[in-house]
Amino acid sequence: MYKAARVLWYLCLLSEVKLPSRRQTGCKQKLFSTSSVLSKDKDKSAASKDSPPEGAAKRQEDGAETSKQQLLDIIGNMKVEVSYRKKLQQLKASENKKQAMNKLEGLDSEGSVPQGITEDTQRDKPLNPELVKAASAVASSLPHNKKQTESELLAQLRRHEETTDKQKKGGTINIRNVISEMTVKRQSPAQWGARISGRISLQDEDGQRIRPDRSSAQSMDSRRSLKVGKRLNIFTKASTEPEHALKTVSSPTIWDLEFAKEVAAVTAQPPRNGFEEMIQWTKEGILWEFPIDNEFGMEDDAEFHEHIFLEKHLEGFPKEGPIRHFMELVICGLSKNPYLSVKQKVEHIEWFQKYFEGKKELLQEI
Amino acid sequence: MAAAALCWALRAARQVLPSSCPRQVRSYYVDWRMLRDVKRRKMAYEYADERLRINAIRKNSILPKELQEVADKEIAALPRDSCPVRIRNRCVLTSRPRGVKRRWRLSRIVFRHFADHAQMSGVQRAMW
Repeated sequence: MYKAARVLWYLCLLSEVKLPSRRQTGCKQKLFSTSSVLSKDKDKSAASKDSPPEGAAKRQEDGAETSKQQLLDIIGNMKVEVSYRKKLQQLKASENKKQAMNKLEGLDSEGSVPQGITEDTQRDKPLNPELVKAASAVASSLPHNKKQTESELLAQLRRHEETTDKQKKGGTINIRNVISEMTVKRQSPAQWGARISGRISLQDEDGQRIRPDRSSAQSMDSRRSLKVGKRLNIFTKASTEPEHALKTVSSPTIWDLEFAKEVAAVTAQPPRNGFEEMIQWTKEGILWEFPIDNEFGMEDDAEFHEHIFLEKHLEGFPKEGPIRHFMELVICGLSKNPYLSVKQKVEHIEWFQKYFEGKKELLQEI
Repeated sequence: MAAAALCWALRAARQVLPSSCPRQVRSYYVDWRMLRDVKRRKMAYEYADERLRINAIRKNSILPKELQEVADKEIAALPRDSCPVRIRNRCVLTSRPRGVKRRWRLSRIVFRHFADHAQMSGVQRAMW
């Protein structure tokens, strides 16, 4: 079943392989039909591991063709022959072999991994005969250049074997580490605590003692399943950093500053060349930064409408009269002023407001 | 934590401090007149906004005249050195009040001295 899945995957890949321009449309249709037929066949069987490439195949919805029956028969036979149990046994056998190799060679797992990989690839270089048979059948089913397609298929199969072996390698080593770690590790204090709390007797209202064993066992099991195993180190602890940052900002004392100044004065070397001199001048502010930005030092983040539409600040003024007239002129002038920031303009208007409030009695006399 | 604070302080200090090689720093003004001029400039900078606003009230025809008279009195009450008219563009090196070219802030004599020694960038003896 695993091999069937692989063959189908290669078929899908093949559909993306470049075809000669002459027969392009016809060939593509045929390819898609085969892949669709095979995908339907696969759908009947149990779900396989290689799901993403089949998504491409399932897109095509052409009808089945009778000329592909041979291929289907071969694949069906393959399914019957190779069961998943056999594959598992093979995997375990290979694992044991690798473990033995690793123990012999030493503790350094990194050193042993590449050697193991090379050995595996050497072992599997003569590909499985069933796969070869399937590849030849597929190549024969395709309309043109069978030898070339067959060779391409086999090459891809080989590459696939290598990658899967590498992945298996990685998987087995991780499992081994996990198992070894589990034996060495003692029970954590959390588990002790759980046990103790389990021992604390749970009493009914009557005062009869409930047997804590069952509950403790259940809690123990659940806890074991959660906390047991090697840390994956997927999530890094980032929570401690901001605390440190806050602490450092608030605490530089005067003595720290003085010390820092001393150190800087001692360690500062005179500039060795013109470039360093210019760098120093830039730091001191004597030289501008290039490329020159015209808005250096101006950090006005306000939008244009805040500069121009200043009528909302005129709420403190009377709505009629010469003062209002005067303030509208002021606002008109401010809106045309590009040199002041919004804050400065608002301050300007507020100053006038205060001034006129102070002069209210005088104004009422008039 | 302390080390981090030190680092931050060091960075700040490094940027502000001058280099170890000594540079000529002007610690005295050329004469007292120059010092007074400096004080006037500082005051004018402080009171510039207020003067501008009070003058805006004085110099328009919309507001009532009584208001403008009050404004007149107010601006007269401000310190004398706050008005920009009292600033004199003196020579920066010799404090000479007359014969000062605005672009270089130097009196004509100093300017000629530097130009002849080729220490003024882009300045050449005219000949036509």
